[in-house]
Formats: sequence, structure tokens, C-alpha cells
Amino acid sequence: MTAGIAPDLLDAGLAEDLAVTALALARRFHAGATMWCAAPSWEPHAHHMAVEFVHPVIVGKRALPAFALAGPDLVSQARVAARPGDILIAVSEAGDANAADLMRRTRAWGALSVWIGSGGPSGCSVRPPGGAADHILWIDDPDPAIPATGQFVLLYHLLWELTHVCFEHPGLLTAKTGGWPYNRSSGPAQPGGTGGYSVRPPGGYCADDVCITCSDEGRLGEVITPPDGPFAAALARTATGEELVDVTLVGPVSAGDLILIHAGAALARAS
Amino acid sequence: MTGQTGFLYPFIEPAGQDAGPLLADLAASARAKARESATLQRATLAEWADQLAACAAAMADRFAAGGRMYAFGNGGSSTDCATLVSLFARPPAGRGLPALSLAADQAVVTALGNDVGFDLIFSRQLIAHSGDCDIAVALSTSGSSRDLIAALREARGRGLLTIGFAGYSGGEMAAPGAADYCFVVRSQSVHRIQESQALLGYQLWACVQLSLGGTNGVSPRTPRGLPDGRAIISGISGRQSGPAAPDRGE
Repeated sequence: MTAGIAPDLLDAGLAEDLAVTALALARRFHAGATMWCAAPSWEPHAHHMAVEFVHPVIVGKRALPAFALAGPDLVSQARVAARPGDILIAVSEAGDANAADLMRRTRAWGALSVWIGSGGPSGCSVRPPGGAADHILWIDDPDPAIPATGQFVLLYHLLWELTHVCFEHPGLLTAKTGGWPYNRSSGPAQPGGTGGYSVRPPGGYCADDVCITCSDEGRLGEVITPPDGPFAAALARTATGEELVDVTLVGPVSAGDLILIHAGAALARAS
Repeated sequence: MTGQTGFLYPFIEPAGQDAGPLLADLAASARAKARESATLQRATLAEWADQLAACAAAMADRFAAGGRMYAFGNGGSSTDCATLVSLFARPPAGRGLPALSLAADQAVVTALGNDVGFDLIFSRQLIAHSGDCDIAVALSTSGSSRDLIAALREARGRGLLTIGFAGYSGGEMAAPGAADYCFVVRSQSVHRIQESQALLGYQLWACVQLSLGGTNGVSPRTPRGLPDGRAIISGISGRQSGPAAPDRGE
């Protein structure tokens, strides 16, 4: 564990990430989103984020819909809770498999994923890969006690405050582009559209949202109901709703499996 | 600006359609507030260094005697209590110590709130659970939340070691005799107070670990390497000059 307070609690890159994330949150709230907060290993952070948005410390600030998800099986809770257009925000250390699973599934649910975290397994600092979440706010410090030093609290305090500043700019709440490249933390070369997963289907390479050979999408889906017969389709949930998907190429699937959907067919598992 | 955050961000124009300038200003103000938070943390740890060491030694004595730590607060402070309890009970290094959050059980909190009144939700639990080798830790930003003051009074009467975390100028918690130790974070911002209280709690935990000899991998955070306040941009001091929500009660 390290000694000393970090010389700069917020470097320039993290400050930019915060700004971009705040604008994305403001746009989602403006469009009617609910924010779901999860912190698998440090549950109090989920509650603190939710109370921050629901019951602001400054009189006159608007209450925003935010809930903490707590207890066992956060994925099952979030799956039922999250509607398309919602926000799912997780706080965890880098190696937290529950947080990673929540973040990758969020795309199939049509929600915006925000991952606040620090450090990494076995004492090294490992930032999640670009595309592991729509927005990644990361403290590059391997100290496993970072969640208890107030640094996460600072990050979501600032996120709350900047989000409210964005509400003062109604002309920007519906804009799609402008300013910095969005998803700075995802990086431009990452396969962000599929949550960091790449796939090589027969006859083509579709590592991103759009296939370079046929211009169709490769979208993340979560199986709701497996096929009920050898020639039947699976029912899957995607960001745009529910759809029937031919899963012949990927073999037997179970409810909850993540698949990449391309032209009505599952081309690969995303796991 | 006509908006409610205009006083915080006088340099931001609301009419623009290009998000670039807004994002640049948001990032700049975030950095300024983070620097302010770090500066306050440094000042807080420096002011209370001796008291922290003495308090940690007293806590270590209680733990060594088989005592438990009970922590309590309202709203965001209740969650920061729970984080502190996690750090003591399930630390990433060192020894786990018996620590409990009195806000954690919704059955107990709502039963007491409904039956005997919100002001007694923590003190009644201390009556049920605590003895004279235990520790009571109250987290508040105002320092005057009535349920916390009532619980500290009960704890002192029962012989517990009593520790308060407060903000602003300390409130009732900082009054003589209200608590054995009271750590005041001298800020007017609920957010900045909570950020410094978290680090005070971390420091207390690290010092307790050292006192108990469970030093493997644990080191206090020294206030070195912090930036000073010179870079804080004029006009966005980050202090939330609006009044605190009266019923959030942290």
C-alpha cells in the first residue's frame, strides 16, 4: 500500500473523462433516464451515489432518479431494472468480475455504462480495456485501499456537480456531437461498439459496430429464451429491443448468454 | 447566467451549441475542485495529526480489550460510515476488527424511527448493544445532527470511547464534553468535508493497525506531495455557498 496523498487527485485526462461523462449523464437524464448504481465490493459507494443524485446537498437542485442496487446477483437485478436509455454506473476495483459483467451487459440492455474504479489485481494498476464501458473514470493507483480514501467520493461528487452544470445548457442536452472526441477513455481504435469483444465470422471480419464487408452491424445481444427446437430462433435482447436470432452458428445457448448479432444471426459468443 | 449554478461557474455561457467550450470549462473546474479537496485534506491531516495518533491508540486499547466499533451517520455520511466499517472489518491489509454500522439494518432503523422517533435511532441501538470497552464513531458534516448528538451522549454515559467527525466549525459535536475526540474539517462544502473525513477515517484505521502491530502492508497517508492552493482558479473556489439541505442532515 502506498503512503502519501496523490500529488494531483485529478489529472488532465481524468478531468476530461469526467466532463464528457457528466454531459452524457445530463443528456440521458434530460431524456428521462434512471441511474442505477452498483458497487459489488464496496456497496456503500452505490448508496452514496444514489443519495447524492436523489437528494442533493444544495437546496434548489433538482432531484434526479437514481437507485442503488445492493445485495446478491447484481446482474439479475440490473437486467430487470434497466430500461433502454437508462444509466448503469459501477464502482469497483479493476479485478472485479461482477462489475465487468455488469458493464459489458449494459450495452445489450440499451443503457449507458459508466465505470468508476482504481487499481488492478495483484498490486498492479490495470485499467479496463477500452470499450469495457461507455465511460471509464479510472484512478491509476494499485493501492487496494483507494476505495476507502475518499477518492471515489470525490469523483462522484464532481460527476454530480458537473452534471447539474450541464443542465444550464439546454441547447447541448440533445446534441450528438461536438467538442472533444467522446468516449476518450475507450480510445478511437478500440472495438467499443461490441464492448471490447472482437469476432471473426466466416467470410469476414466484424470487429466494430459496422461490418467492413457488408456494412451491417455487429450488435451485442443477451439471450432471453433459447430456441425451443433444432430449427427455431432464440429470443434476444439488444439495445434496440427484443428480436429473434438464428443461433445455428454458435451452437446451444442458454438464457443470459451474450452473443454478437449480425444480419439476424448470432456470429459468435461474447464472453 | 440565470441558472442555479451560475454563481459557481460565472464563466460559462448557457447559449452555446458547441459542447467543446463547456467540456473544457467543466474539466478545468473539476481539476480546481480536486486541488481544493487535496489542499483541505493536507490541512486537515496536519491539524489533527497528534489527536489522530492519540485517538488511534485509545481505539487500539479498546479493540485489544475485546471492544467493538459502532459507526453511525445520516445520508451520505451513513454510507461513508459503512465504508469505514468495511475498512476496519474487512481490510485489504492488516487485521480485521469488529466494526458495525448502526444505519445498516433497515428493520431496526425504521422500527426505531417509527416507534420512538428518528432522533433516537442510534442511541437506542447503543443501549441494546454496547458496553464500556466499545467505541462510538459519529460522522456528520454539520456536527449537530440530533440523532448523532443523542447517540454520543448515550455512548459517553455508558463509558464508550466517543469519536466525532464534523465539518464547518464543528457544531455541537465540538463542544466541550460532547466527544472524547472530535475531528473538524474546516470547510463550508459538504462535499469537500466528506472527502476529507474519508481520509481522516483511513488515517485512523492505518494508525490503529500500527498500534495493534498488524502493520503488514499498512501505512498511513502522509500529507506530502500535495499541491498547494495557488492553482485554484479565481472565482470557482468550489465552495458550495448555497445552504445545505435542511433535512439531509449530514
